[in-house]
Amino acid sequence: MLLTGAEIIMECLLEQGVDTVFGYPGGKVLYIYDALYKYQDKINHIRTAHEQGAAHAADGYARSSGKTGVCFATSGPGATNLVTGIATAYMDSIPMVAITGNVPCDLLGQDSFQEVDTTGITMPITKHNYLIKHIENLADTIRKAFQIANSGRKGPVLLDIPQDVTAQKYEFTPLSAPLPIPKPDFPYAGRFDQAVEMIQKSERPFIYSGGGVIAAEAFDELKEFADRIDAPVSSSLMCQGGYDQADRRYTGMLGMHGTNTSALAIKNCDLLIAVGTRFSDRVLCNANLFAQHCPILQIDIDSAEFNKNIDVDLKLKGDAKEILARLNELIGQRSHEDWMKNIENWKMEYPLMQEEASPDDVTPKEVLETLSRLTDSKAIIVTEVGQHQMWAAQFYQFREPRQFISSGGLGTMGFGLGAAMGAQVANPDKKVINIAGDGSFHMNCNELSTAANYNIPMIELIFNNSVLGMVRQWQKLFYDNRFSQTTLDKNTNYEMLAQAFGVKALTIKVKSDIEPVLKEALSLHEPVLINCIIDKDYNVLPMVPAGASVEDPILEM
Amino acid sequence: MSNNTEKEYVLSVLARNNPGVLLRIAGLFSRRCYNILSIVAAQTENTEYSRILIVVSGDDRIVRQVDKQLSKLVDVEEVNVLEREEAVVREHLLMKVERSLQNSEKLVEIANVFHADILNVEPDSMIVELTGDATTINSFIELYNPYHVLKILRTGAMAMMK
Repeated sequence: MLLTGAEIIMECLLEQGVDTVFGYPGGKVLYIYDALYKYQDKINHIRTAHEQGAAHAADGYARSSGKTGVCFATSGPGATNLVTGIATAYMDSIPMVAITGNVPCDLLGQDSFQEVDTTGITMPITKHNYLIKHIENLADTIRKAFQIANSGRKGPVLLDIPQDVTAQKYEFTPLSAPLPIPKPDFPYAGRFDQAVEMIQKSERPFIYSGGGVIAAEAFDELKEFADRIDAPVSSSLMCQGGYDQADRRYTGMLGMHGTNTSALAIKNCDLLIAVGTRFSDRVLCNANLFAQHCPILQIDIDSAEFNKNIDVDLKLKGDAKEILARLNELIGQRSHEDWMKNIENWKMEYPLMQEEASPDDVTPKEVLETLSRLTDSKAIIVTEVGQHQMWAAQFYQFREPRQFISSGGLGTMGFGLGAAMGAQVANPDKKVINIAGDGSFHMNCNELSTAANYNIPMIELIFNNSVLGMVRQWQKLFYDNRFSQTTLDKNTNYEMLAQAFGVKALTIKVKSDIEPVLKEALSLHEPVLINCIIDKDYNVLPMVPAGASVEDPILEM
Repeated sequence: MSNNTEKEYVLSVLARNNPGVLLRIAGLFSRRCYNILSIVAAQTENTEYSRILIVVSGDDRIVRQVDKQLSKLVDVEEVNVLEREEAVVREHLLMKVERSLQNSEKLVEIANVFHADILNVEPDSMIVELTGDATTINSFIELYNPYHVLKILRTGAMAMMK
């Protein structure tokens, strides 16, 4: 059938099973938005307040559903506003397709109005990008973009489409299914023999799981693997919920703000098995002091992650799900009773603590544990970046994958609100709560208008301590309490701000507010903001200071 | 990283001739802090592909990283790390040297020793051309140095596996 370029875009999105798009209209995407109007019964479009919000929403949609997130923006500033969102997705390997308009082909390269070199700007933060100048390539390039975003190590792809291409007509031939995702390599048998030997020799194996477990949907295999080799399991920030945290094997997070149990486990293990993780500097802390005494077995889909930040002893390249499944077939039941007993003792001895500053004080720990209890550990928890992010990871009990959504690699303040809207749109039957700090909230609070506009019933829970807490914590430890620019002197009236956007607001001031306010917020079917006032000097602990070993965290300060 | 483990490697990259492919490759080097000593993009027998030859300096670990990161680029078909011994490596040099009546004969003599071509002669300068490996080209330049070299244009290494 003869369609315009803009209509071909819609048809290709439908071919990929896309039913939701986040974006913002503008001059160079007028044809695209005109086609959206025609396809509005099939494609739901959420117009955010700012393109960055659209990129984060597409990302949150992808992380919470496993599908590809899609966002639209116009040329120039529209495209540059997506940049932080695309970079966030890239760092965390999230499948996303961003479609930007550009000036017509004959105006490209002439500093035309709202023209920017979008493919040039996004080259380092996408898996790949295309400037599509010829309509005959349009459909196939869109298909290829979805294929690239979802193959191997996932990630964002950007399509920059000049306006004239969206207006031209071309014969469109539908495809019955998306292009197949190429199967990743599988290690040869000899590698598995070595791995099995390594595991069978080990008396104190320890598993470090990462975001790849979630990307590969390998949680059942990971659970079976841990049971089979009788090992404790820690996770990076990116793998919260990739392993059931109620399980006795779970030692908590590993890394800069990991638990002391995870630190002791890595100090005492005789084999470290890393699954779907890239040994980020937030986990390694000091790479020269990380797991030096034991061999490391790494399973990852991206061979560029082998020996990048740390040397490993054995590498299994491929899909974590398939590799773990194969290992489960090859390995007989192991038993490490003493080792597991040690782990259980450490867990009892070193629970995560947070003492009230004064008796009636609201602690983030109590708020998050209450939230976890009231939602039966089933809510989707999104975060911004800072202290509240670490508290959310520490104190909410994640039992399922895709339940914790956070900007791990790029550490993007302002990520959470957009991402939470995306997660809520993808999961209308789940409770979605964005845990924010007052600093991060200010970055993109404009998106409250989007939540109100579309009645996206998420909860925005702000831990309001009137400071930029994480930076303040570092200033306390290493900069002699010189709180340079981290005190938010005249703080916002959050309740009034929420009301101005048409969002209901609640307040937690004292301990006795926690449960009733959370219950009320959870009972509503509309966006709610909770201003939760906390003392400014709660710290995130344990903590490994810069340069120190992950094995020796600071437990008190 | 100690200097004694650093050496030069020639990477031979076969890439689809898509717009921006050279930028993708060069950009990857700069953002990952890998050093490019020279880069040559050359046409291949198939016009849809370019062969890009990059000389990098680093240790074995860095080169393996470069190889793997390059291989992840969608437009890159194949990356080979060529060992100097297994490959023919050639560079091309154009050099302009100051010329006078007194030294003219000497300049021609050096060119003849190296089988270099004299491409142009002006009253006060001449341009010579030489193709060879890096060592030959270095010594060639070295011999001309006393006669006041005006300009040097030197391509990076082209390399082909034996």
